[in-house]
Amino acid sequence: MQSITVTINGEKKEIYFEGGETLLDVLRDNLYLTGTKYGCGQGACGACTVVVNGEAVKSCMVLFRRLEGAEILTIEGLSKNGELHPIQKAFIDADAVHCGFCTPGIIMELYALFTKNPDASEEEIKKALNKHLCRCTGYLPLIEAAKIAQKYYKESIGKEV
Amino acid sequence: MEYKYIGKDAKRPSAVERITGKAIFVDDIRLPGMLYAKILYPKYAHAKILSIDTSEAEKMPGVVKVVTGKNIKHPFGDCLHDRLPMAVDKVRYIGEPVAAVIADTERHARAALSKIKVEYEPLPVYTDALDAMKKDAVLIHEHSEKYFYVTPLYKPTPGTNIAITYEIKKGDVKKGFKEADVVVEDEFNFHHMSSVAIEPHATIALHHLDGTVEIWTANVGPFAVREQVAEFFGKNISDVRVHIPHIGGCFGYKSDPGIEPLVAYIASFVPGRPVKLRLTRKEDFTSTFIGRGIRARVKVGATKDGKLTALEETLYLSTGAYADTGSNILIVAVQTSGGVYYFPNAHVKGYSVYTNTPPVGALRAYGHPEAEFAIERIMDMLARKLDMSPIELRKKNYITDGKTNVVGEKFKKSDGDLFKCTESVLEAIPPKVEVKEDENYLYGVGYAGLIKAPKAATFASKGCHIKFNVDGTVSLNMAGGDVGQGLWTVARQIAAEALKMPPEKIKVYNEIDTQYSPWEWQTVGSMFTFQGGNAIIRAANKAIDALKRNASLVLKRDPDMLEYDGEYVYDRSYPDVKVAVKDICRGYVTEDGTTIGEVVDVTSYFRLPGVQGPDPETGMGRTGGSYTMGFQGCKVKIDKRTGKVYIDHFATSIDVGKVIFPKGAEAQVLGGVLMGIGETLMEEVRFKENGEIANPDLIRYKLPRIEDLPGKQTVKFIETPDAVGPFGARGLGEHPMIGVAPAILNAIYDAIGYDFKEVPVTQDMVKKVLEEKGLTVKDKEE
Ligand code: FES
Ligand code: FES
Repeated sequence: MQSITVTINGEKKEIYFEGGETLLDVLRDNLYLTGTKYGCGQGACGACTVVVNGEAVKSCMVLFRRLEGAEILTIEGLSKNGELHPIQKAFIDADAVHCGFCTPGIIMELYALFTKNPDASEEEIKKALNKHLCRCTGYLPLIEAAKIAQKYYKESIGKEV
Repeated sequence: MEYKYIGKDAKRPSAVERITGKAIFVDDIRLPGMLYAKILYPKYAHAKILSIDTSEAEKMPGVVKVVTGKNIKHPFGDCLHDRLPMAVDKVRYIGEPVAAVIADTERHARAALSKIKVEYEPLPVYTDALDAMKKDAVLIHEHSEKYFYVTPLYKPTPGTNIAITYEIKKGDVKKGFKEADVVVEDEFNFHHMSSVAIEPHATIALHHLDGTVEIWTANVGPFAVREQVAEFFGKNISDVRVHIPHIGGCFGYKSDPGIEPLVAYIASFVPGRPVKLRLTRKEDFTSTFIGRGIRARVKVGATKDGKLTALEETLYLSTGAYADTGSNILIVAVQTSGGVYYFPNAHVKGYSVYTNTPPVGALRAYGHPEAEFAIERIMDMLARKLDMSPIELRKKNYITDGKTNVVGEKFKKSDGDLFKCTESVLEAIPPKVEVKEDENYLYGVGYAGLIKAPKAATFASKGCHIKFNVDGTVSLNMAGGDVGQGLWTVARQIAAEALKMPPEKIKVYNEIDTQYSPWEWQTVGSMFTFQGGNAIIRAANKAIDALKRNASLVLKRDPDMLEYDGEYVYDRSYPDVKVAVKDICRGYVTEDGTTIGEVVDVTSYFRLPGVQGPDPETGMGRTGGSYTMGFQGCKVKIDKRTGKVYIDHFATSIDVGKVIFPKGAEAQVLGGVLMGIGETLMEEVRFKENGEIANPDLIRYKLPRIEDLPGKQTVKFIETPDAVGPFGARGLGEHPMIGVAPAILNAIYDAIGYDFKEVPVTQDMVKKVLEEKGLTVKDKEE
């Protein structure tokens, strides 16, 4: 067993693990943060996407032991005080949540994109979404949701300040 | 008719859970004392097992038990009992479980796998039905004569690799071909693909010490899982309980019992301890059901003015190592061979043949895309031979009011209007391409009809349990799995309409439990809206009748003089003589405190009326019951340099009878069309000669991404009310996939003048044809 200290969803924690685990393994199996999903383990589907130090990463491709001091945000950390995050609201309004298995990863991807660049172009949005596989929606509802999410997100930054 | 909730957009009841990461899928479940299983797979796709030595593995850290198939007493199944949860004395495909390790952690279980020693004697491997059918082929099942089958329809042919044979005869094909002026004949091949839900399979099983079994799994057939597991262990069905949490997509391969019997078998070695098996993506490809895999040899005849006279066809399904689940796919393909066309004479025969691949099981619209691919391609070829527009030829031969399909089912006006569907697709994508070629691209258009019936067991039913709560709200329980298609939303809308109350007052179930949920066959065949919707209406009416009976005691009126509006039951002529629903839903407490009347808590069921199994002699019969038809078309552009096929515009028009949940319905089409594009241009489970799968991962097996979207999609619903469907609605979920492959291949022909006869058609295949035909251009800069 070894341990490192990371901040997960705003809480600083010392986390014990065996050694070879990916971030996805630790999130799901050690920390029971099961909102992050396994779909392929090879970086191909995006279901495991979380935000590490502000960047969207595929947690199945990251060795946990490399993350000393990292700030990790998962889908569980997105809604605050019982309020859905604007991106989550947008997905509901656009009816883009079908089976919902790909959804947490996609939302985290967009969160990273919009926090870095609230004015991301449609091309940039599609490029980010192209990293994700969704078998249900045919993607158009996701693109629609992402656009609404961008709008809601921009409105919300005004409010937070 | 004006509806209040039907046909209006609605919020999905499960959305918040799913959007916050709180929705519980099987792999998110942890039970106290839970153990983990990992599976050992064979080195060969077909081999005798000579010996298995588990002794070293048993000594590994954390290992609780090593399990082999030697305790299995008999095979199991649904229609043909030829399945085994784990190999017994031979392996028949590369993903077949040979042994399992149960350990305290998955890591420990995995580590012990490599210590299991197995000796094999390899046998010849067949991955194609035609090879397995050869006279000298080695038998994959040596004793298929011993297998139990439910009806002679599923009887294997012992001494061969043919699992089942099914044949239909309509009219006189000989005569039909004599009447024909033109005959076209060809062979088409639909390769295997995988459902690839983004959630891989996972199951937990627990044998309680009292002999009961509990299972948690991602499957839309919980009652089928329960029945087959009970039968396998010789237990009462009531002693097996199956829980279905959220399901991360199905697309077919989570609808028949899959890994559940395996996990139940493994867990039986550690009574009292729950055992979880979660498949990796690779295992999800190699060890669960795959789909498609049908070869069709088709011959059609027509008069010179384009009237079809005869269809003769033979279908070969490479059904994989076990034929139970593939049997129905073959049967459905045979029954669908005529597509949307009227053939006065038809003779169609199908073989489901054992091969050394994973078993073929359900995959969105199974049997239909394969058969309709062949017929829709050959219609285009026939049109060319007749020098007639393919649209004209199609319209001339549509099954319409009073005509029969190849199994002799008569169509009615209320089955839908194919002509309207055709018109709306042609409006979006006109049949003539303005510019056929420019510097970089070749352009073409293509079309295909589509038709599908549920093709379910005749006893297939759905149930609905309505419980009125004392505040006048309603709890709605059913057993339909919402795998993303929006089933819970549709259920709530139909219930709201039928119970005349806002959807917010109706709480829809979000998990299924065979102990509490009303019985349902399986959530398959695009049947939920049709059957489930009718079950809801029946239950709602039963509840309303009960409320009226209660109100009649209170208001002193005959029940049929009373009206119900969702909040009150009142006297039809004096509406202010009324009683609130909330005061009578558990009986009515009178002034002196005694309670009168009944508790309003009802259950109703619905099955397709009049559906039959096929006649054992002729193969004919009313096997569909409820059809949905439509038309699809596309415009493609083909890159002359790379051979890449771009879909510029894809249009779908389906006569759904009545749209219940508009956004959901549209998304079913968008998702279905994209999945269809996947199976047409990129998706294939590829087998090496030795039966290994060449691409069991999401890097080499390509799934459509955003970049593969058509430039434009048009979706148009026609609403010819169905005679039986709830509010006139028909099934829709699987249909949008059916016409995609032939429409695209017909369009490719239009663009480059080459007939592809198999799918997928990859970029390399197109490029090769372009080169052969001298249609490529080289980059000038080169
Ligand atoms: S599970 Fe990480 S990308 Fe698929
Ligand atoms: S919503 Fe099911 S995979 Fe995307």
